[in-house]
Amino acid sequence: MDNNKLYKLSLLIITVAGLSFIFWWLGNDPSSGLRIRVAGEDNRGAGGILQDVNIGEIFNNYSSDYDSLSESWPRFRGSDFDNISKSPVRLIDKFSSEDPRIIWSVELGEGHSGAAIFEGLVYILDYDEEQRADLLRCFSLTDGRELWSRGYNLNIKRNHGMSRTIPAVTDDYILTIGPMCHVMCLDRETGDLRWGLDVAREYESEVPLWYTGQCPLIDDGKAIIATGGKALMVAIDCETGEKLWETPNPSDWKMSHSSVMPFTYGGRKMYVYSAAGALVGIAADGDDAGKLLWSTTEWNHSVIAPSPVCMPDGRIFMTAGYGAGSMMARLSENNGEYSIEVITKYPPRDGLACEQQTPLYWNGHLFGIVPKDGGPARNQLVCVHPDDPQKPVWTSGPENRFGMGPFFIADNKLFILDDDGTLTIAKPDLQRYIQYDQVKVVEDGHDAWAPFAIANGYLMMRDASTMVCLDLNR
Amino acid sequence: MESKSKSKNRREFIQSGVRLSLALALGSVSGLALSRSIKDDYVWQIDPFECTQCGRCATDCVMTPSAVKCVHAYDLCGYCDLCGGYFKPDANELTTAAENQLCPTAAIERKFIEEPYFEYIINEDLCIGCAKCVKGCTSFGNGSLHLQIIHDICLNCNDCSIARVCPSDAIKRVKATEAYNIKGDFTENPES
Repeated sequence: MDNNKLYKLSLLIITVAGLSFIFWWLGNDPSSGLRIRVAGEDNRGAGGILQDVNIGEIFNNYSSDYDSLSESWPRFRGSDFDNISKSPVRLIDKFSSEDPRIIWSVELGEGHSGAAIFEGLVYILDYDEEQRADLLRCFSLTDGRELWSRGYNLNIKRNHGMSRTIPAVTDDYILTIGPMCHVMCLDRETGDLRWGLDVAREYESEVPLWYTGQCPLIDDGKAIIATGGKALMVAIDCETGEKLWETPNPSDWKMSHSSVMPFTYGGRKMYVYSAAGALVGIAADGDDAGKLLWSTTEWNHSVIAPSPVCMPDGRIFMTAGYGAGSMMARLSENNGEYSIEVITKYPPRDGLACEQQTPLYWNGHLFGIVPKDGGPARNQLVCVHPDDPQKPVWTSGPENRFGMGPFFIADNKLFILDDDGTLTIAKPDLQRYIQYDQVKVVEDGHDAWAPFAIANGYLMMRDASTMVCLDLNR
Repeated sequence: MESKSKSKNRREFIQSGVRLSLALALGSVSGLALSRSIKDDYVWQIDPFECTQCGRCATDCVMTPSAVKCVHAYDLCGYCDLCGGYFKPDANELTTAAENQLCPTAAIERKFIEEPYFEYIINEDLCIGCAKCVKGCTSFGNGSLHLQIIHDICLNCNDCSIARVCPSDAIKRVKATEAYNIKGDFTENPES
């Protein structure tokens, strides 16, 4: 074979090999072995079927004797929505050898619902695991005797507890929201049913994850419920059950665990609410009651438990867990038009944040317990100035860490409950963390997350399964 | 007669010898196995209560992928729909779509059980020990997901490379007979 033939043959072989390689390379998909992760691989069900519930069908009457007292803690965060007791009753700041003075205790269904107190009566929405029913239970504050209960049959399963809300109580009415968004309005004195509303059915609302956490509001005789679904918020006449107004919800913002906070700014009363989707302000009165005055989708998280902290100068502080962090915003009014501007927004490790409890606003400062994903300050009580919520004025230090339990101020003392039922008394201070004392109240306690209620020196607190009445009178 | 008797004795002697040899061999093997099982050998293991989910187990182990894997203490799990160990914070939707999942290798399988419960199963072959799920579960859940060194993968290096870089000294030598610190069963490491 001469060189020319050899050259041509080599060229042919190289060409064929090259073309083969190009065809192989173009036809080969290096990602063919990868599995595409798409929705639906968990075989998720169609969702829970709405149960037919006869709200108020159960009534148990046990007793009518109780000691009438002078003070009340009638709803979530107390009379003034600030979680600060204004009672003149002097409370202990040190636990003696007799403490904790547990006056009475009662076993409850697993949950985190808190008590409201009205002039010697304690109201709590419990889930009775044996009877499988939501029950509003009424106890005598001084001795724990159960007076009556009213509720309805409902099948639910444990989902990090069952009950989570606090009733709203006035002279005339008691208003509750159950785990599956059933609203029940009762006559306060008799426990008679006024009316009921199945929010999930009527407004096609999505029941929040781990069940409803929104505490209901009674304002000027109106039940205020943030429904999500077909309406964002509704007002219902407590006396008749008649709907007074509904706020449209074109953006389909959803119900969160946050509660509605009344706020008056620029001469206008409004309801501030952190829906899953946006932070909103809704006109509370006037001809346009129920109108959306302002909103911002800058605050848009899927799980929000704390409620808005509204400050007199128009600033609103929002915080949430699950990595959401916090936001400080400023409300402005111009000729009756409202707008909201975000001042700062940051992740939980960069400043004051809370996962479950609403921060306290006291003496121009904010106090809260940083969540577990809050970096070095995790689980510490932190005090910040609203001008810079990312710069702690002080922290309680790594030796004083807390959980997701409640904290509030009464008799100028700061009470903090740890997850395991340990109660701490500290001094509310703007310079540093000063701890007075600490005592274990609930033995083997866990998930003690329900907000406090206090009246006449009796503190109502609970862990996941036990509610206790603690005498804090000095 | 005498010859038969001699033959029988020889046979019995051989049989006895074989029996004795077998018994000795069996005894030796058993003794060796017993000594192995009760010998105070040590292996490396993670104390899940000390772990800060820094991510170095994925990058500093001499094995590729790491011998550290996520394990699941089912008795601690809440079986939540929104699982902080499975979903990214503020996930668009609670679905199995890739954009919602925290795990970079899809090593967690999510299965619907019944309303409102979901089960989360770790695929050890896919897990690289990055601890992203552990961080999410610890921060937002019950902490049922946690890291452990898997001993059929671990080379048990005398100088464990991840123990050297662990910022919280969570990796310690434990007795080989108690090689795992599984949460739920394990509440306190006796040597810590």
